[in-house]
Amino acid sequence: MVASMENIVKRYQAHTALDHMNLTIHQGETLGLLGPNGAGKTTAIRVLTGLTTADAGETRLFGTEMKGAALAVKRRIGVVPQDLALYETLSARDNLNYFGRLYGVRGHDLKNRVDEVLELLGLTDVAKKAPKKFSGGMKRRLNIGCAIIHRPELLILDEPTVGIDPQSRNHILSFVEGMAKAGTTVLYTSHYMEEVERVCSRVLIMDAGHVIANGSVEELTKAAIFEETVTLEVREAAPDLPDSVKKVQGVQRCEPDGRSLTVTSAAGSQNLARIIECAAPYVILSVAAKRPTLEDAFLALTGKKLRDNGGEGI
Amino acid sequence: MRGFLATFAVGFKSLWKSPVSVFILIAFPILLILILGTALSTYISADIELEPAPMAVAAEEGGPLRAFLASPDISPFFELTYTDAAEAEALTKSGDVICAVVEGGDGSLDVLSQSQISFTAQIALSILDSYQRIGAAAAAAATEGGDIAAALGMDLSVTDMPLGKRAPSATDYYAVTMLVMILLYTGLNGVELFSKGMLSDTGRRARTAPISKAALVGGLLAASTVTSFLQGMVTFVFSGVVYGVYWGERIPLVLATLFAVVLLSQALCLFLLMLFRHPGAAGGAAQAFFWVSTFVSGGYTKVSFGPADAVFQYAPNAMAHTVIFGSIFGGNEGKMMFCLAALFGLGLLFYVLSFILGRRRFS
Ligand SMILES: Nc1ncnc2c1ncn2[C@@H]1O[C@H](COP(=O)(O)OP(=O)(O)O)[C@@H](O)[C@H]1O
Ligand SMILES: [Mg+2]
Repeated sequence: MVASMENIVKRYQAHTALDHMNLTIHQGETLGLLGPNGAGKTTAIRVLTGLTTADAGETRLFGTEMKGAALAVKRRIGVVPQDLALYETLSARDNLNYFGRLYGVRGHDLKNRVDEVLELLGLTDVAKKAPKKFSGGMKRRLNIGCAIIHRPELLILDEPTVGIDPQSRNHILSFVEGMAKAGTTVLYTSHYMEEVERVCSRVLIMDAGHVIANGSVEELTKAAIFEETVTLEVREAAPDLPDSVKKVQGVQRCEPDGRSLTVTSAAGSQNLARIIECAAPYVILSVAAKRPTLEDAFLALTGKKLRDNGGEGI
Repeated sequence: MRGFLATFAVGFKSLWKSPVSVFILIAFPILLILILGTALSTYISADIELEPAPMAVAAEEGGPLRAFLASPDISPFFELTYTDAAEAEALTKSGDVICAVVEGGDGSLDVLSQSQISFTAQIALSILDSYQRIGAAAAAAATEGGDIAAALGMDLSVTDMPLGKRAPSATDYYAVTMLVMILLYTGLNGVELFSKGMLSDTGRRARTAPISKAALVGGLLAASTVTSFLQGMVTFVFSGVVYGVYWGERIPLVLATLFAVVLLSQALCLFLLMLFRHPGAAGGAAQAFFWVSTFVSGGYTKVSFGPADAVFQYAPNAMAHTVIFGSIFGGNEGKMMFCLAALFGLGLLFYVLSFILGRRRFS
């Protein structure tokens, strides 16, 4: 076990940011921490990395309780903060050098490692430039680079893709996948479902300061989703279709909309073939079965949409 | 040590690239040029307002010197005390008058000047100088072809008292006050660097690294202090080379004082940052304080606040002025050492207060 938090409580004045938060990170996994803005993800990371002390509960990293300095443990983790944490006026190389040195990397090793990381993150050409001149995506990549110079065993990324172009996002996600493949344990925080679904082997869903669900993406969606929907589109008007579809076992609702029909069934009904059968007399233009996603799981678990609060936390 | 050195290096590098620090480095010396330029031009312009210079006169009653000093063109420049030679010297030494003029039995003039940081004293001396020249010219005219000095039968010699090599010019004065002010402002470097390296997201990241808080804080403070002092040295050297400002013969003492000002400024700014927890608020409060301290210390223009001066002489700038002017032109050693110690002591005090506030904040 790489890290654990047990019944962590963290209050800011009257506000409880973490309310009996529990978390375990296993060796080699990529754990997603998913939750809307304000769920307490960043606070959890701050407690985990010793930036702030919890009001109650116990945090362990590599078997050591995180208390006070805990320097030996800090050396084994790399933290990519949610907000850019760089010296914007210094060059990319200077930034990497600085954070590398703080972790005790030096001399030839430092130089080689900085070159390696620049290459890995596609920043070799701009190594001498200051990040204040970088695009959002490049800054984000450098922000990550500064956390991995010392080859951490546990890499913690706090919403590393907020506010960047799809290409940079893809680059970062591939990078995380690469790190995971190479054996690094990863804690990946996000409020983007697609990212977590793509890179994480296990997901914790967090809301209001504690974890409300824990499992693989499939387990979570299966457990939380009670409905499945299929949308049929036919060429001519089909007035009898809704009535015949409604008779199919498991179907709960039928909502016609012009020439298309959205059919909602109980989860696990396995009735798609029969629904299509009903439509056989007509010319079917398309059938779309929507697979449940983490987004749906979250909605089902909390009654809230993940990103309905507008504030993107950029 | 690793964390300290790395942080020192990065702080040092980033400060030389920061707008605040470039402002201190570039804008202040330019300001200095402007102010010194203005100071020099007002020095020679006629309509400068002078306070009458207190001067002791030991001269024959009804003689030409008394008549000269009493004439309507000259009298506004002086506040005269008529006395004898011994008393005149005593008054000068005690500082009750800024100079004394003593008529010798042979008609020569002895001017004893209390080295003072004032234009008034300069003007007074040059008036006496003119008196001698006018007299000489008159005498020369009276005894055509004769030896002017011999004809006049008098000789003006100016003796600086007590230790001074020479009296400060307006340039010397402003070079000192401006440099002290510049160094005081370098605390803003500290606000910027400390906010960045410790309090911002960048600082938070550094705090997740396996280095002690002491190394991080120490590295940042050292970087800011060294940078600030070096920036001050640019102006120091510049003033000497370009304006020929005389920094005296006790350069180590002058530099120690300048360093004390840097430390005090860094410490005060750090304290304000810990107090307000906001770089803008801390910087604003610091600047307001620097302005007031410079103003009451006569840094912008020499001013007197009457009885309040008894308090204002302990403003940071004023204490630095006391040590530096004292070291260049001669001054009370006891008071100078007190002021230097007080500057270092205040710096230490603010560091301790910052530490106490910071502990509460970062625990
Ligand atoms: N320093 C702080 N002072 C007061 N409240 C805070 C502070 N940091 C976070 N919070 C509050 O704690 C809650 C959790 O915040 P955070 O951990 O940043 O959430 P997330 O990272 O999931 O968006 C939020 O309601 C936030 O407003
Ligand atoms: Mg966050």
